[in-house]
Amino acid sequence: MKKLTQAIILAALALSAQHIQAAAINKSLCVGSLSKTLYGTSTTGKSVTFWGYSDCGGTSGGGGMGGGGMGGGTATVPGPIMEIGVNDTLNINFSPMGMMTMESAPYNGHTIHLHGADVQTMEDGVPETNGNMVMGDTYTWTPQEGHEGSYMYHCHVHTVKHLEMGMYSAIIVRPKNSSGAFLNQLNTDMATAYNYSQNYILSTVDPAYHTASGDSPVFADYNPSYFLITGKEGRTTSAPAMTLAAAKSKKVAFRLVGLHSTNASFEIKNSSGVLQPFTVYIRDGRALPVAKTVTSLDLSPGQRADVITTLPSTSGTWYPQVTYKKLRANADGTYPAYATAYGKVTF
Amino acid sequence: MLKKIGLYVLLLLAQNGAEAAVRNFTLHIDNGNLTITGTGGTTLSVWGYGESAGLPTVPAPTLTVNEGDTVNVTVYNHRSAQHNFVIKNVTTDTTAIAANNGSKTYSFTAPAAGTYVYSDTLNTAINREMGLYGALIVRPADNSNTAWTGGPYYDHEKVWVVSEMDKPRWNDVASTGGTVATATYKPNYFMINGLGGFDAMMDNNTMIMGTLWQETLVRVVNAGQFSHSLHFHGNHFQVLSINGVRQPLPFEEWDTINIPPMATAEVLYAINQTGDYPMHVHTAQAEGANGVYLNGAATMIMMH
Repeated sequence: MKKLTQAIILAALALSAQHIQAAAINKSLCVGSLSKTLYGTSTTGKSVTFWGYSDCGGTSGGGGMGGGGMGGGTATVPGPIMEIGVNDTLNINFSPMGMMTMESAPYNGHTIHLHGADVQTMEDGVPETNGNMVMGDTYTWTPQEGHEGSYMYHCHVHTVKHLEMGMYSAIIVRPKNSSGAFLNQLNTDMATAYNYSQNYILSTVDPAYHTASGDSPVFADYNPSYFLITGKEGRTTSAPAMTLAAAKSKKVAFRLVGLHSTNASFEIKNSSGVLQPFTVYIRDGRALPVAKTVTSLDLSPGQRADVITTLPSTSGTWYPQVTYKKLRANADGTYPAYATAYGKVTF
Repeated sequence: MLKKIGLYVLLLLAQNGAEAAVRNFTLHIDNGNLTITGTGGTTLSVWGYGESAGLPTVPAPTLTVNEGDTVNVTVYNHRSAQHNFVIKNVTTDTTAIAANNGSKTYSFTAPAAGTYVYSDTLNTAINREMGLYGALIVRPADNSNTAWTGGPYYDHEKVWVVSEMDKPRWNDVASTGGTVATATYKPNYFMINGLGGFDAMMDNNTMIMGTLWQETLVRVVNAGQFSHSLHFHGNHFQVLSINGVRQPLPFEEWDTINIPPMATAEVLYAINQTGDYPMHVHTAQAEGANGVYLNGAATMIMMH
């Protein structure tokens, strides 16, 4: 009987799933340059030039193509974070114009690699494999059910430089209800419901990579001096990169997106420095068969994780944080830390 | 009656175990060269294990055996310094093989099916960095195309020994008898199976190749000193084992896996669409040869 009930529920779900409106999400992206003043361990700021994606055509759901991509927009690092629903079709019209953001041949132009999307070769943004047009192209992706979670996009031309320059951001694939509205869940599993969600995009900055170009020996040695969460340093708990004012006892989702180039681990500590548990539900856009509750999660370059923590019933402050570590292990297998970047959640 | 059944079972077991064999390997430690071809390439002075005296290879020969085999590995040291041969999690003798043509034989029963890493553990990490490392592959006792007895089936099998070398500060110094300042390690060459990307992207033993729905078991060994974060384009893979620990079913599916130094992992990559895709390490400098893009730790996935 139980089995039959399950079958009926499953059938009902399947029916309702069919009724979910799949939308076309049309985006126009361009590229621009910008500078950030970064501090690292210094009290004197250093201006570092970045290249970033910009939203240059506006968004239209379900309608025709966005603008022509010539508007420019304002480039940011990370670039625009895109949210799409399962079965939605993301159409990106990409126009990488501008001499300020170009290398010389063979590394001229830019692409968009939809990292983790497993799209067809022609949509993959890798000029060496598919002849993707580096002076402008379109990219399309329709994530399937079961592929909810965090993804990233980045330029795949001379990636060693262009990703480092800031040409990256996140794509969040979200579940939808029967009327096509986003659910505040990581996926269709009710256990992944959350009240708040934040995108922690990990990245590191070696200023030498920002001024070098071409096949330079500079790119053989990575010495990052700035460590970012979603484009900001967050060097201390009193100057966090990310802040969230939440209510007690609520659930907070963190979308961890690994666009850094070092080792890193994510932890949440309370104001006494005590590690707080969180549950990992999704890695690399695939639900874990068994969710894992941990107090520390390693995230290597290219990886993503979608995690949820439950805030306590008494008010306080927690500090989600990313410790960036060297790639070379100590003899005992631990890794020396470069720095920790902090977020802050008050409740 | 019971006794008879017992005997019968024993006979069956013996029959099943008939594949178990004695496997003898000989390795020779010598000075040699490793050439990374193409733009940014170079010739690195190395020390390696080779199948023939005077012909070291980097990585060392892959030793392939079946679970339960009796394995004897005789290692000759033709160099003028001490070396050893240790298979992590398999052999325990870390004492030196005498310099100038000394030899030692390491005997063991092939452990649980899986992927293992062997190396010279002497001289801080210098002997390993210089090229003295390789993989031991233990296949199931019946030699079937499964990751382990009763484990997932595969059509193709690839071994990726990932490593890196610091030419100016380590290889150039150690090969000329100098003292390497081991606190500083800035590798400028990154390799899969001893190949820069330009070669590894065309190497039949390294590339993942197949037709629709075929499965490739990729056995990854990180013999270097850096963590390597391997990102596969085209499809996610199933994580079968990490450091010899078989993962519970159903397997997790990732598109990027981090392999720490001297760690191993086994992943199963299925071809579910046609196309050509790269597989590369996602850390900045590991993608190049002395800064030349794509001649680093990268290969190709050809799905046809």
